[in-house]
Amino acid sequence: MSDTIFYTAMIWMTCLLLTAAVTVIRARTALARILALDALSLVLVALLVLYSTTTGTSYYLDAALLLAMLSFLSTLAAARYSSEGRVFSRATPNASSNRGPL
Amino acid sequence: MIRDSLTDILMVVGLVFMTLGIYGMIQMPDIYTRLHAASKSVVLGVITLAISSMIVADQGIVMRLILLSVLLLITTPVSSHAIGRGAFLHQERMASPGTVDETGGGLAGDDPPTPPWRM
Repeated sequence: MSDTIFYTAMIWMTCLLLTAAVTVIRARTALARILALDALSLVLVALLVLYSTTTGTSYYLDAALLLAMLSFLSTLAAARYSSEGRVFSRATPNASSNRGPL
Repeated sequence: MIRDSLTDILMVVGLVFMTLGIYGMIQMPDIYTRLHAASKSVVLGVITLAISSMIVADQGIVMRLILLSVLLLITTPVSSHAIGRGAFLHQERMASPGTVDETGGGLAGDDPPTPPWRM
């Protein structure tokens, strides 16, 4: 991998990260904010992958893996809490029976 | 030599995918179409970057990259489905042209607005 490509990719991905952060701040609804946070964590994972490949160490990839898992769990919990008011659904089918076939 | 240039090409392709995903997340009109860009395209970009790193890296990095790619492939549809379901339960309207709400909820762009006494 050439150094030019690496530095260009690093700067470009930092710009993407800043754009995603601005999107998180300027989102209109809570669900759009959650979605933008998910995309931001994905960009962070890509940044860690790039850095770990360039330096040849695998420790950054553990951080990337944990960040991917935590962003998945937090997105799921926040979206379900925002839509239903609770993270785990109750088992009875009457909870959301009048809200369409979902 | 060929491996290095292949790595560079795949890295540029991944960057283009991620850029298109972030751009679509800003530019799309409603959250249902934003989900397409922000989940699918960005994840494809990250996986392409991981593949481009797999070509030149050693074994420990390759195993972790495979684990990361599989984890992203499994978990991203679940979280984006949770976001879309939340938007449907919040009754957010579809703003893109030509939409059809097949559930009968009346959330498509051409439907009349929901009266406030409903739900």
